[in-house]
Amino acid sequence: MNKSTYLYITIFAVVVGSMLAMQFRTASSDDLPVPFDRLQELTIEKKQLEKDVNQLQEEASDLEAKLEEAMISHAGAAGALESELYKIKLYAGLLPVVGPGVEVTLDNPSGAGLRYGENAGYTIKDEDLLRVLNDLRGAGAEAIAVNGQRILATSEVRLAGNHINVNLTRLSPPYKIIAIGNPGTLKSSLELKGGLAEYLSEQGALVNVETKEQIRVPAYDGSLRLEYAGPTQK
Amino acid sequence: MWLGLWLTVIGIAAGVLIGLNMPVVLPHAYAKYLSVAALAALDSVFGGLRAAMEEHFDNTIFITGFFSNALLAAGLAFVGERLGIDLYLAAVVAFGVRLFQNLAIIRRHLLKK
Repeated sequence: MNKSTYLYITIFAVVVGSMLAMQFRTASSDDLPVPFDRLQELTIEKKQLEKDVNQLQEEASDLEAKLEEAMISHAGAAGALESELYKIKLYAGLLPVVGPGVEVTLDNPSGAGLRYGENAGYTIKDEDLLRVLNDLRGAGAEAIAVNGQRILATSEVRLAGNHINVNLTRLSPPYKIIAIGNPGTLKSSLELKGGLAEYLSEQGALVNVETKEQIRVPAYDGSLRLEYAGPTQK
Repeated sequence: MWLGLWLTVIGIAAGVLIGLNMPVVLPHAYAKYLSVAALAALDSVFGGLRAAMEEHFDNTIFITGFFSNALLAAGLAFVGERLGIDLYLAAVVAFGVRLFQNLAIIRRHLLKK
């Protein structure tokens, strides 16, 4: 038996043994306790998750944009509602308005109110006021106020003793009626020949109609309440 | 005969001791290649032992066989991983079968005596 044969075999056996030991140490080393396959699996999973995160982020930004859009349209809707409300308030007489118009002053002649005296003059009655208001409306007045009381659809004009109540407020002469509209039309409708101004003057009242470039009609400042009326079913 | 077997076993044991005390740790990525290479080398050593017992041991064949088997096994594992096929299984099966065959023949030689 050749001695070198076993020498070689022994040498290579040592090499194999060291390889096995190194392999054993590598497999059991602590720096990477996870198996290689598991590592690959986790890497794939991580990539998938990163992709998911990206996708979700995209989705989130998309939804944010949509939310912003919705907010904008919401604000637009609120603005539209507000402007509609403003318009309706303006029509209803709940907001003060300015514009060209006329100022009509009605006054009792001096000495009026002495009903039973010698020189008892003419006293302006609610009817006269109503006729003036009616004429002004007929001539296209858009906003009317009597002594600072805005005339609404529900405003009453009625005689109460020596005074006239408008909007439950007691008014006393002189009555100053301001109306916004075409000043010329308003003035001429009152000062027609045989018209209201002439009639009232004949009765003894002091009537004065003045056109104004810019007058201010105040808002209705009472409270509005519907106790009996309700909306119809749509 | 028995001397050869004992020398081989003692050599492997000595190698294990050396390997355990070596300061170098192989990177984990190469562990797969080293494992099949170690299997191939183990097969080569037992093959050499068997050849020695059959009295036709050749130094050159033994050494080249040792390295070519180890390199081929590691190469198969490497290529297999690149191709997505577990080619190292081929090395494991082939060298495993040969390992058992060699051990069986060595056993017969030892017992026939």
